[in-house]
Amino acid sequence: MISRAPLAWSVAGLLAALALPWYALQEGLDSGAWFSGLWSSEDYASGLAQIVAHGKWWLAPVLSALVACIVAALVPTTRQRRGTLLLLAGTAGLVLFVAQALGIGLRGWTAGWLTTLFGELDGRQVGLGAGGAVALVALLSLLSIGLALRGAFGGDAFVAGAVTTVAASIVLFTAWPILRILVQAFQDGDGVLAPALLVERLATEKIWSLRCLSGGGRCGVAWNTLFLALGCGAGTTALGLAFALIVMRTSFGFKKTLRVLTVLPIVTPPFVIGLALILVFGRSGLVNQFLEWSMGIEPTRWIYGFHGVFLAQLFAFTPVAFLVLIGVVEGVSPTLEEASQTLRADRWSTFTTVSLPLMRPGLANAFLVGFIESIADFGNPIVLGGDYGVLSTEIYFAVVGAQLDYGRAASLALLLLVFALGAFFLQRRIVGSGSYATISGKGDSGLPTPLPDAARRAAACVALPWAAFTLLLYGFAFVGGLVKVWGRDYTPTLDHYAKAFAVEHTADGLIWTGAAWNSFWTTVKLAAIAAPLTAALGLIAAWLLVRQRFAGRATLEFATMLSFAVPGTVIGVAYVFAFNVPPIEITGTAMIIVLCFIFRNMPVGVRAGMAAMSQIDRSLDEASITLRGRAPQTLFYVVLPLLRPAIVGALVYGFVRAVTTVSAVVFLVTAEYELATTYIILRVINGDYGLAIAYSCALIVLMLAVILLIQFAVGERRLGRRAVALTGGPA
Amino acid sequence: MSVEFHGVVKRYGAATAVAGITFTVESGTLVTLLGPSGCGKTTTLRMIAGLELPSEGRIVIAGRDVTTLGATQRDVSMVFQSYALFPHMNVLENVCYGLRRSGQSRDDAAKSAREGLLQVGLASYEERQPSELSGGQQQRVAVARALVLKPSVLLFDEPLSNLDARLRRQMREEIRELQQRLGLTVVYVTHDQQEAMAVSDRIIVMNAGRIEQQGSPRDLYERPATPFLARFMGESNPARGTVRRLDPTQVRVRLGDVEIDVANATATDGDAMVAIRPEAIAVERPGDAPGDFSADLLAGTIAKASYLGTHMEYSIDTEAGTLFATCPRVERPLAAGDAVALRLAPRGVIVVES
Repeated sequence: MISRAPLAWSVAGLLAALALPWYALQEGLDSGAWFSGLWSSEDYASGLAQIVAHGKWWLAPVLSALVACIVAALVPTTRQRRGTLLLLAGTAGLVLFVAQALGIGLRGWTAGWLTTLFGELDGRQVGLGAGGAVALVALLSLLSIGLALRGAFGGDAFVAGAVTTVAASIVLFTAWPILRILVQAFQDGDGVLAPALLVERLATEKIWSLRCLSGGGRCGVAWNTLFLALGCGAGTTALGLAFALIVMRTSFGFKKTLRVLTVLPIVTPPFVIGLALILVFGRSGLVNQFLEWSMGIEPTRWIYGFHGVFLAQLFAFTPVAFLVLIGVVEGVSPTLEEASQTLRADRWSTFTTVSLPLMRPGLANAFLVGFIESIADFGNPIVLGGDYGVLSTEIYFAVVGAQLDYGRAASLALLLLVFALGAFFLQRRIVGSGSYATISGKGDSGLPTPLPDAARRAAACVALPWAAFTLLLYGFAFVGGLVKVWGRDYTPTLDHYAKAFAVEHTADGLIWTGAAWNSFWTTVKLAAIAAPLTAALGLIAAWLLVRQRFAGRATLEFATMLSFAVPGTVIGVAYVFAFNVPPIEITGTAMIIVLCFIFRNMPVGVRAGMAAMSQIDRSLDEASITLRGRAPQTLFYVVLPLLRPAIVGALVYGFVRAVTTVSAVVFLVTAEYELATTYIILRVINGDYGLAIAYSCALIVLMLAVILLIQFAVGERRLGRRAVALTGGPA
Repeated sequence: MSVEFHGVVKRYGAATAVAGITFTVESGTLVTLLGPSGCGKTTTLRMIAGLELPSEGRIVIAGRDVTTLGATQRDVSMVFQSYALFPHMNVLENVCYGLRRSGQSRDDAAKSAREGLLQVGLASYEERQPSELSGGQQQRVAVARALVLKPSVLLFDEPLSNLDARLRRQMREEIRELQQRLGLTVVYVTHDQQEAMAVSDRIIVMNAGRIEQQGSPRDLYERPATPFLARFMGESNPARGTVRRLDPTQVRVRLGDVEIDVANATATDGDAMVAIRPEAIAVERPGDAPGDFSADLLAGTIAKASYLGTHMEYSIDTEAGTLFATCPRVERPLAAGDAVALRLAPRGVIVVES
């Protein structure tokens, strides 16, 4: 069995090198035109043809490594030695592959020192195509089979392959783009290293000015971003805590309704709240109109700027803090509170001296989540920011605006990355060192202590009006799509929906004439492609991280979490830089958008999978393995059936985030592949609120429908009559 | 189908769980790995299963070197401490699982699985979910699931630790009976010395990642090689004494004022560590003892006395230290403060270190 796998992979790699175009094609593989030019045309030629007929000698060592692997698979030898041979050949092939891919680009050698070292190169290469990609995958697989044969990864080739696949894809699609942005930040327009330029770009008034504090003028975008993030972190944590306390520790009657609040931001494109705020507080919003009508006050643009963005972020991210803090409040062991009460502490001092200190790490966590969400937010600042620029919008204007200054964009992105990673590390340190593990394996028979009256009243006074107002905003957002022109003509109409989603029935069949259909279908298609891939990759990574022990496990976990902390804007810019030149040349394609979706959203799948998997006793996997279930079978028959809720979660999240995301893809969309969110943002910037709102509502409905569909398709977990036996027996 | 370990080491980073062990499990025998928690016995079992691969050394099962093979590729199956029954499958599906993964057709697998369930007396339970079974029944399903694969070696990882005391005795008898009836090679892990003695042909006692001693249950109990073993295999009182060799098979041990002749072939003359089994100490009232404080009686005072129904337990202060003794005579118990004379039976006095 295992000696057949390396043969299959090396043959597959060689076949790809013989029968598929090595380089990327302008028109894509499906046209079929490449087939006739496989040998003769330099554009279409296979790997072998490139070497023999087109003088690309540097591909020869890569192909030789594949041949060496065939030999290693065929010679009769011990397991151990075959493993060593495959490992050597695979690694050599991979190193040579990467070296030639990075070293030789569109205009020969990619770096000056290579030219000095080897002389001018008579040749060039474009981005990697199908042949090259398959050869690369084959080399990776052979390398991991080699490792498994030598006894690494528990001797399991599947595990070895999975680890290398996940690691390689994270390196390629997360680490590499971010590295590129770092390099770009230190380069001038021609790609020459100029570290001084970074200082010059960053050390400007526009970024660091503090004039707003002293009264005159505006502050720099860096300070703007920080102020906003601090405010947002503090505000969302306070509100979230109030909600969590009400739900967990009082007998409040509408807990279910409050829980719904946590779902809303997940299915809402991030700028919808901003739009709704404009409807209420904007120049022609309800408040201004009322003030003008009743007291003759001139409408103001008050909402555009710090206030507006801050409010919008508070509304948008409080549910996230709520979600985090529900777990935190739940985690405070009731027994500890009961112990405190038996030690003569009344409810209030129990709350302040036991419960709150126990929640401190969780509160820090919620604060930093709010902080990171705020600095990563692009939708609200672009809609409501006005003159109040933040880093994410500055980066956007540096890339798409008249400036077209990639170096500046990269430098700003670097700054944003530093902020985000700083907060991320701070969070890891605080949560890592100060976490009180109050959820033990033992059953906790205590009853949660009700909140002291003062705290309960305070929480209710803050949270309930806020919840009502949030729901009201959503209500306005919905109604806003159903009137002619908000602020001037409140006649009910379906015009906006018709404009976006009109369908005409003609002799030629249905024609999708609505303005939104193009971006709508693109969004649905790409999200539907990305969601299962995101879920699969995320869950496999989770399975590896929780269930397998291998060298570098901690590094891999850290890498998957790291992409969590990188703001979408940074990822978007990074993708543009990394993937518009060979070896991977996919800017402007649908593929880059799908990849961006996958690697942006995978960490959540990983987290969800890890949480779910750590609830399933490891002995279930081991039982399957000792019962002759190989790793993939164990995964398929034992782990996945028990993980249904996590699968649903990962699929839903993968899809919904793909539909609602703005910040990352705003740099990647083209006229051909326009997405719903970017289309809506453009409508908003043009002041076409009606259409934007109608479209947003349609998206929310779509996502709710998809959630139900996925839930239905994946089904419930079947566990006999009780759902408690996940430990594999009574503990 | 023997199992052989040759100098096997297992490290986790800087920590060494198993520090170079060599042993052989003969075909058709039940061998127990016994030791306190953290001694490396479970790691050793998992290395036989292939759930862990050794850092050094060789593992041979049924004549085949399996050192770098994973669990799936070894002809071994295992009964887990938690039973690890798949909660989303019913009893029959659980027992079929290994057969189906080995490539058997659905019907063949079901047929063998039913035979397996019959062997463990659960023939009418095949449609049940694991959550609908009692602990003992779950245990039997786990055994049947491992058994139907007809493995070269069957492994048990503390299989009785989740059962109550009564059921524990019954299940360990069932396991022993099944092993002897089918001639299975079994490796069994437990930390319970009594359980180990009851089921095993041979016991391998481990401590701190090393093998302390191996042998038959009787060997280990009557001739423990180290103080650790004397403590761990049953209870014993540590005491200091002096040893003088009488002839190649006997030594004279002096404890306080008493001298006892003990069978021993290895101890050398001089001070020695001596272990005294509590059941080898006969506790007598001074008046009852013939010869009244004669040379072979150790004088003492009762420090504590407890009544345990079947026997009495005494702590007795003597010149050789405080000794713990059990006494089957419960009708005339002694009380704290009573003066006593202790007679030591030679088979319960063990020279462990000289």
